Amino acid sequence: MAASISGYTFSSVCYHSANSNSDHEGFLLGEVRQEETLSISDSQISSSEFLHVVEVHNHEPCAQLFSFYDYAGKVSEENLNRILKDRRKNVIGWYRFRRNTQQQMSFREQVIHKQLTHILGIPDLVFLLFSFISTANSSTHALEYVLFRPNRRYNQRISLSIPNLGNTSQQEYKVSSVPNTSKNYANVIKEHGAEFFDKDGVMKDIRAIFQLYSALQEKVQAVCVEVDQSERVKEKIQEEVKKLKEEIALRKRSTAAEERRYQDSVNTDAHLLQDDSALSDSSPPSLTRVVLQSPPLEPSLDWPANSTPPPLYTAALPPDPPSAVLLPRPQAVGSPGHPSPSLGLGNGDGSSSDSLNRQAIGQEDQAEEDDEEEDDDEDSSEYENLVSEQLQSPFLTETVSLGRPATLWPDGDTHSSSGSS
Amino acid sequence: MHCCTSLMFLCCILTMNSLSPEVALSRISPELRPLLCSVVRNGRVGLDSTNCLRITDLKTGCTSLTPGPCCDRFKLHIPYAGETLKWDIIFNASDPELPPDFIFGEDAEFLPEPSELPHLVAWDAADPECLLQLVKELLQQYHQYQCQRLRDSSRLLFEYDSLLEDPNYGRSMEIYAGRKNSWTGEFSARFLLKLPVDFSNIPIYLLKDTALDPGEDVALLSVSFEDAEATQVFPKLFLSPSIEHALGGPSALHIPAFPSGGCLIDYVPQVCQLLTNKVQYVIQGYHKRREYIAAFLSHFGMGVVEYDAVGFTKLTLLLMWKDFCFLVHVDLPLYFPRDQPTLTFQSIYHFTSSGQLYSQVQKSYPYSPRWDGNEMAKRAKAYFKSFIPQFQEGAFANGKL
Repeated sequence: MAASISGYTFSSVCYHSANSNSDHEGFLLGEVRQEETLSISDSQISSSEFLHVVEVHNHEPCAQLFSFYDYAGKVSEENLNRILKDRRKNVIGWYRFRRNTQQQMSFREQVIHKQLTHILGIPDLVFLLFSFISTANSSTHALEYVLFRPNRRYNQRISLSIPNLGNTSQQEYKVSSVPNTSKNYANVIKEHGAEFFDKDGVMKDIRAIFQLYSALQEKVQAVCVEVDQSERVKEKIQEEVKKLKEEIALRKRSTAAEERRYQDSVNTDAHLLQDDSALSDSSPPSLTRVVLQSPPLEPSLDWPANSTPPPLYTAALPPDPPSAVLLPRPQAVGSPGHPSPSLGLGNGDGSSSDSLNRQAIGQEDQAEEDDEEEDDDEDSSEYENLVSEQLQSPFLTETVSLGRPATLWPDGDTHSSSGSS
Repeated sequence: MHCCTSLMFLCCILTMNSLSPEVALSRISPELRPLLCSVVRNGRVGLDSTNCLRITDLKTGCTSLTPGPCCDRFKLHIPYAGETLKWDIIFNASDPELPPDFIFGEDAEFLPEPSELPHLVAWDAADPECLLQLVKELLQQYHQYQCQRLRDSSRLLFEYDSLLEDPNYGRSMEIYAGRKNSWTGEFSARFLLKLPVDFSNIPIYLLKDTALDPGEDVALLSVSFEDAEATQVFPKLFLSPSIEHALGGPSALHIPAFPSGGCLIDYVPQVCQLLTNKVQYVIQGYHKRREYIAAFLSHFGMGVVEYDAVGFTKLTLLLMWKDFCFLVHVDLPLYFPRDQPTLTFQSIYHFTSSGQLYSQVQKSYPYSPRWDGNEMAKRAKAYFKSFIPQFQEGAFANGKL
């Protein structure tokens, strides 16, 4: 059995008691309820525990001693009703305060208790005993209180807890379930409550917050749908790109085979060899290949309608190969001598390589130019170089003009002719 | 004081807490003082009326700012059946006309029926005896309660019932049924019985020799049963101081041991008889001594120097034989004539080396308790005559003039 008394009731009882010049008594009003705790553990399916909880909400002090009983300790029901009036049904116990006495029920208290149990019809009537002990020189006073349930044979004393009386920095501040029975409080709340509570008694703020929450949830749901759709589109495009890559690879292989055949046939002709060497002097052989290879590739490719048109190649491959302006030297990206296409972004020295590479590798949702870069193992690097050098801003994916030599606009504007995103 | 030992267990042993009655009364709130006066000064309850009620632990129920004296609650020590009950009595100084409340110490289960306490139901604070009467009524209820507790042991219950039937003992009995020893489950009880022995004929002189207020002359027999089967029984006799003195001091307290397998209803009359016999002896002895002295007076006439005219325990004669004068001191014992008087012959001429008169004590001489006073006087005279020559020689030989 557990018992609790609200702090203000307790202090009120103490106040009444301490101010009386004799013993003091009164009634305790409140409620008793039974709490059932179901606990499930590995060893048992469920066990329920019943706990009687006694809560003291209020008290009714008696103005004087012997107000409802006589010298023999006989309780007069009439006087009892006069004191309690309509609160009789709320009585859960009674209390007594006496100074400098033992914490034990006295003879008359026991006699009265038995009768009250019978008259009020409360089998487990409780009795709260306050005793106030003072030392001889009045230097120390102690207020002791014990809650008895004398109608039981064993375990007659129950501990009475006062919520929030203690060190609340270490314990939680508990909201007591003791209702506030003050009429004034109820009136004020009723009067001003409309500002805070709606017609169902729920605080308005709570409802508003719930609405906000629901709206957010809806939005999130909508976005989910969009994401789902775009993911599917992306998937489809990726499939197509994969297919195209395969085709490109195929074509490359076939052209490579052709070239080999052509080379073989040319090997006997010394004239062709000179041209080759001249070309290769001016530029690394890779460039030659680039120059030679890229044009045939272009027209045979089917570009998806919505993809970015390949101005990169049309513009990037002018008939003026050696122009460093138009055709960035296929040096390793990041080489110091490499004039960084002036987009104004990225690092001058070519330390933009990381970003460019990242750009190149990571930009799968970009136009297919990225994929173009990764065509062949031996070619992909050139393509990467070609394209990545032109991609100045790794982070402005949308604004980078893929395939457009940035040097055409040296002021750094990035006009993306391609509908990149 | 040898009387103290006899009533040691019944006497209040003064502790640090105890207050003299006057001090206690001075601290009590004035309105309650008359009630307590009668308790403290005249309060004798129970069988052991030589022991007063005692008050300790005076406290107040008023706020600590109330100016004193305002004590209105205290502990009352009540002797009962060899125990001391400590009951808390709670008044309210601000409502002195109201009856008190009680806490019965460790007897938490003792709950008297209020209707059995007339002085509580009709409490009258103006009557100074009210509290004392109420305490007596409570004590009666307590006795009933203890007797109820005897029901735990059929043997002890039998003892009780059998005593109850006997009108001699049934009415003046206090029972204390002790707690069960929680380890062994043993049950103990103590019976305190007032023995119906008539002490009224004991000569006054024997009784007045005590410093304590004698109170009522009473003999109490306390029988402690240490177990429910009555295999360990310890009886003890208690006499009020004057009686004990009259009967010859601590030796008067010797009683036979409780016979194993015996019961109180047989044993108690035995003790009673023993005591009665002793008292008879004492009374008889007194009369016999008187007779003896009277006889000697008449036989020796002018030879009597002095005698104890109150207790008749001593007699001194100055006799002469062949011009030899000597003194004879006769000491009559308490249990005369059973015990023989002691004769001390003393020479009036001779001194011993220590400066005392030369004397010889004679304890055994021809004597019979069946002789009457006259006969004893005659025989004594004859003895003197036969013994004196011997004495004279001794005096001359050993003493110096």
